[in-house]
Amino acid sequence: MTDLNLSDPAVIAAISGALTKAGVDGIEIEHERQKLRIVVEHNGVASVLAPAAGRAQTSLAKAPLAGIFQAVDGTLPRHVAAGENLGFVRVGPILLPVKAAKTGVLIRALAEHNALVGYGDPLFEIELNS
Amino acid sequence: MIEVIDTGPLNTIQDLGRTGFRDIGVTVSGAMDPLALKVANLLVGNEEGAAGIELQTFPFRVRFGKEVAVAVTGGGNATLDGVAMPPWWVQTAQAGQILEVTPVAGSARGYVAFGGGVDVEPVMGSRSTSLRGAFGGMEGRALRKGDLLPLGDAPVSELAMTGFGVVAPMLEMTSLFPVVEDGTVLIRALPAGEHDLFGADAERFWRQTWKISPQSDRTGYRLAGDPIRPVAPVEMRSHGIVAGVVQVPPAGEPIIQMSDANTAGGYPKIAGIVEADLWRLGQARAGIRVRFVRSSHAEARALDKAMTDYLEDIRATSQMVARALKTIAGH
Repeated sequence: MTDLNLSDPAVIAAISGALTKAGVDGIEIEHERQKLRIVVEHNGVASVLAPAAGRAQTSLAKAPLAGIFQAVDGTLPRHVAAGENLGFVRVGPILLPVKAAKTGVLIRALAEHNALVGYGDPLFEIELNS
Repeated sequence: MIEVIDTGPLNTIQDLGRTGFRDIGVTVSGAMDPLALKVANLLVGNEEGAAGIELQTFPFRVRFGKEVAVAVTGGGNATLDGVAMPPWWVQTAQAGQILEVTPVAGSARGYVAFGGGVDVEPVMGSRSTSLRGAFGGMEGRALRKGDLLPLGDAPVSELAMTGFGVVAPMLEMTSLFPVVEDGTVLIRALPAGEHDLFGADAERFWRQTWKISPQSDRTGYRLAGDPIRPVAPVEMRSHGIVAGVVQVPPAGEPIIQMSDANTAGGYPKIAGIVEADLWRLGQARAGIRVRFVRSSHAEARALDKAMTDYLEDIRATSQMVARALKTIAGH
């Protein structure tokens, strides 16, 4: 994994080929500061939607501990400030905050309300303001 | 030290009360919702019975003179320097920051606890304010603008630095505290000394829905409804009474004794409310409807145990979570 370069066309081609062969709809890979999203279309052709560099950076809010994810009301996407509470992880009667690490636009919730989540599981995706 | 920069009337310093002096006519006082005060204290790392602030009127604003953990529970919505705190939550305030508490719809009283507790001089073993006796708390009176409240010394825990909260008791113990669909609060009680003197009217006491009248305060709640009367007039000598006793004065509309209960009274007693349900009355505003449900000693004991378990669960789990987070952080 250490030498993986997501902007290398050969790497993208190899992953796309493997996905098409396996019948998988798509994949999203984050590695170091690069992010790659490949979606396989129904005619079997893979298209690369997110090139590895040059796109908006995102930040993930992760579970501080294993527990039950508790969503809070709020529309998406919306602007959030660094340190803002986005939801909770429940351990017994205790609620721990899931905070935005950076200011940006909250674009996605990655866990269902009441889902069991593990330590470090990504729970929210924030697109950073460029 | 914290400075009160805005408060309505009747907001007081309260702990769990001044027990042991009823025989010499000293009212117990203490929080009307002791469960909310206990949880607030556990969140900031205090003993359950430390003194905090009971809020009955809003908004309430304080400015912090030093870094301190602050928790708001019960019927209070809080912001710290304008940033909302989730309900039943502790956060660490920095010197100069301002906490504002506003009311929660459907609740009557909010509680604020501070790490180290409000450190006014105890009177007869308690820091509770006795408004009628004009002693305890802040010079025996309600808080007012400009008051400077001393706080005890307590380190701020790492968990309080992060901020955390609890699932509110009504959500965590839904099955134990039933509410009927129209919002009527069901209050469990046991028949008391003079119950049977009310004959058929005793059944109407249990069957009908009563409304908490506006003539209700920390001393007692007056209920409005179809009057109930004993079969024959009852003449009684004054005798000792406690919070939760339901008396029926001659006009036939019951009075529930609350935290600032009189220590003695002569009206016939029809029922005694189980202690575990008193906090729900403490959160019931004037105009709310209540119905009494006949309980048993066994049920009252089971409810007490469930409440103790809920508090113990908060204490043990918060310590476990704090240890786990510390391990993850690699300290």
